[in-house]
Amino acid sequence: MKRDPVVLMVVAMVVSLMLVFGFHMARKSDGQAAASVGDLKGKPAPDFTLQSLDGKSVHLSDFRGKAVLLNFWATWCEPCKIEMPWFVELQKQYGPEGLQIVGISADEGDSKDGVSEFAHNMGVNYPILLGKEAVVDAYGGVQFLPTTFYIDRNGKVVDRVFGLKGKGEIEDDVKKALAESQVQAQK
Amino acid sequence: MNRTAFVSALVAAFFLTTIAVAQNMPGRKLPSVTMSPAPLTTIIQGKPGTVELHFRIGSGFHINSNTPKAEYLIPTALKLDAPTDIVVGKITYPPGEDASFPFAPDEKLSVYSGEFTLSVLVRPLHNVVPSKYMFRGQLKYQACDNAACYPPKQLPVEFEVKIVKAPPPPKKNPPQSPHAHR
Repeated sequence: MKRDPVVLMVVAMVVSLMLVFGFHMARKSDGQAAASVGDLKGKPAPDFTLQSLDGKSVHLSDFRGKAVLLNFWATWCEPCKIEMPWFVELQKQYGPEGLQIVGISADEGDSKDGVSEFAHNMGVNYPILLGKEAVVDAYGGVQFLPTTFYIDRNGKVVDRVFGLKGKGEIEDDVKKALAESQVQAQK
Repeated sequence: MNRTAFVSALVAAFFLTTIAVAQNMPGRKLPSVTMSPAPLTTIIQGKPGTVELHFRIGSGFHINSNTPKAEYLIPTALKLDAPTDIVVGKITYPPGEDASFPFAPDEKLSVYSGEFTLSVLVRPLHNVVPSKYMFRGQLKYQACDNAACYPPKQLPVEFEVKIVKAPPPPKKNPPQSPHAHR
């Protein structure tokens, strides 16, 4: 049977388009979490209840009225370690203005002592909470660390940042979260 | 150029273009560690043999070596399940490369990047039936790039070893009598 080359060409193009589409969907599903995180911007930050290192139950809503810097991190994450002293300084500097930094550890469940020791050695002056998968999922399934959410005094996500940024950029985002809250309060 | 050749060239160009487009799609690249298929290694019953496993880390990423410089960092480690009567001995890891990264320019980390090879010592006992045996396990690693780290992952690892009979010991010639040839 003789096949028309043009038909073959069209079939080949359709197949390759399907391949590209499949590849794109696979990439999209890998980055699904990041995409849904993007959707949180401007929306209320999902509330959660997590245990702190001293065994207390902490809710995000406990910090309502403050601008919250919510930082997902882990002891095995070197870039996260770089940010921590900056967060300590920012908490001291902007705490009186209404900033509350909150760390959520993504370390495995049985590593509370390791997290506690690490935080102590880093001189952390803000609450560290032990992460749970449900909370990570609610924030879009944090695929890489550090991931930081900036939440205004009304509990809305102002911005989210993936990976390590410079101290200046973090400080700018903190100022923005504090200012955003003031702008909304004036409305 | 005849019509068939023109159509073939067009289709090839289309494929190449679509592949190029697919590879440049936006989105953060995720780290990948892959293992090259291990060739079949032949080992003699009762004798130790070495199997080499080759891994490749996606460009732009690094993973901790087996001996990272801080205890809180997750080392790269291979865990294997051995078939009955075959012992997995020492796993030899390459030394890490001391590297510093933009997030900590003053700090040296011990990492693997690009390609690395692990050596696994395998010792079949004397009573192992000569045959092919599959080894399965997992390589645990934790990857980072220049600005972020990714949760620890486990890469399935498998390789096959062929156990063969030990060759018979060389026959010793019986001592000959000096009077045998008269």
